[in-house]
Amino acid sequence: MDIAYVSELAVNGALTGLLYSLFALGLVLIYKSSSVPNLAQGALTMLAAYVVLALSRQLGFPLWLGIAVTTIIMFLAGFGVEKVTLRRMAGRPIVMILMMTLGLDIFIRGSTLAVWGGTSRSMELGVSYDPLFLGPLLLSRINLAGACVAIALFVAFLLFFRTRRGIRLRAISDDYVASWSIGISVEHGVALSWGMASVVAVASAVIWGEIQGVDQSLSQLLLKGLTVAVLGGLDSIVGAILAGIVLGVIENVGASYLDLVVGGGSRDLIVAAVLIFTVMLRPHGLFGRHDIERV
Amino acid sequence: MNSVEVLYNSVMLAIKGVSIEVPYGGMVALLGSNGAGKSTTLKAISGLLSAERGKVSRGEIRFDGRVIGDNPPQQRVGLGICHVIEGRRVFEHLTPDENLEAAAPMSLSRTRVASEKARIYDYFPRLAERKSSLAGYLSGGEQQMLAIGRALMTQPRLLMLDEPSLGLAPFLVAEIFEIIKRINRDHGLSVLLVEQNALAALDIVSRGYLIENGRVVMHDTAERLKANSDIQEFYLGGSQAKSFHDIKHYRRRKRWLS
Repeated sequence: MDIAYVSELAVNGALTGLLYSLFALGLVLIYKSSSVPNLAQGALTMLAAYVVLALSRQLGFPLWLGIAVTTIIMFLAGFGVEKVTLRRMAGRPIVMILMMTLGLDIFIRGSTLAVWGGTSRSMELGVSYDPLFLGPLLLSRINLAGACVAIALFVAFLLFFRTRRGIRLRAISDDYVASWSIGISVEHGVALSWGMASVVAVASAVIWGEIQGVDQSLSQLLLKGLTVAVLGGLDSIVGAILAGIVLGVIENVGASYLDLVVGGGSRDLIVAAVLIFTVMLRPHGLFGRHDIERV
Repeated sequence: MNSVEVLYNSVMLAIKGVSIEVPYGGMVALLGSNGAGKSTTLKAISGLLSAERGKVSRGEIRFDGRVIGDNPPQQRVGLGICHVIEGRRVFEHLTPDENLEAAAPMSLSRTRVASEKARIYDYFPRLAERKSSLAGYLSGGEQQMLAIGRALMTQPRLLMLDEPSLGLAPFLVAEIFEIIKRINRDHGLSVLLVEQNALAALDIVSRGYLIENGRVVMHDTAERLKANSDIQEFYLGGSQAKSFHDIKHYRRRKRWLS
């Protein structure tokens, strides 16, 4: 086993992993306030990518302005989706809410297909594809840039959850009846978290759109994002970061060896195995909160 | 006169035309056995019935002369009604400090929030000692204190307490009731207290209502309720000899059954 080769795989895996974490952050934000894994997060991300492209290609906005406007549009869209579809589900069994997010996912995927078609488009951020040499390691520039954006967003959200508004959101995730009883507007808090998750979707849409192009497959990031979120514990931002790095490294290193044996295509297999083993062995994930039981 | 009046009829007829009134700055107890409709009455006033898909189907709820039946719970808190729900329900994964902060209205300035927190810690010094450990690890009594402190952060004018003595040692109940009384005296806060522990409750309130099967069956001053023979028998434990007899009877039956 070649150390330099493995460490290169590991470092690039970790960078990719941080991008999974970025995607998972959107899931975590919604789960934190409403305890629902949002199955539509992949579709929201894809929608954000299409909106960025529509603004910059079809309406001729400069790319940065397109991204900024998309952020606003997506925040309002997330806010609105919660208000229209999920507000009335409050208090219903969780499985109904889950089905609702699945319905949203299919709806958004169907409408983007109808409006923009199935051909792949490129984001063209202007980041060079030349690898970056860091000592003996070869790094991908876009992954590195994406990882920096991801870390910046993580820090921003970690700080946000220490503010009064953030504390209120955490209170909602703890006990929403108790939150009502002290005058917290639970509905508003949940809508806010959907808005924030949609903003995160824009960031991950731009970066992932650049990496793999903008088409329907962008929504399949959900599988990896969900795995990272579950491994991290679903409601922990720090957990999502570390789980992303762990998954990225396992996937990259593992696949490069496993592919030699099975002849390619083992990446998704590894991700699926991680998801299954996490649920079986550690349902709370690495950093998920356990329900506190006093003895 | 600032008063709250509740007149209504609701959820699967859990309560049937209950009328109660809490005078401004007064302390009133709502007594009754399990399932009598005490908690439902409080939820109707705080608006938390909607979280359980209940609703007030008849009658009206007034606070400060204003009909509040249609306001969502967060608006009622804004008006000054705060409900400390049964079973403490503190935010377990937040620290006591954050629990208090979450309850402060967003309109309060940072310095006001800090001074309000200091006031609560003054009432409950035990909370100050443990303000940065997770609330889920506090003892039952501390959690109840935190639940009350959290409610006080919302700047209420009417505080409704649902069974604050539940599952607590008698000396803690006495301590908590003493603090409630002090807050009532210091700030002219109106208190509506729901209790099964009638003995402790009647010691601190001025008036009491007795609810049975969703109806108010008795309404009087605390002294006269304490003296009432029915209340003594059913809610204050009855006479010593009688309960002893019950135990014997129970033992005998158990022998027959086994």
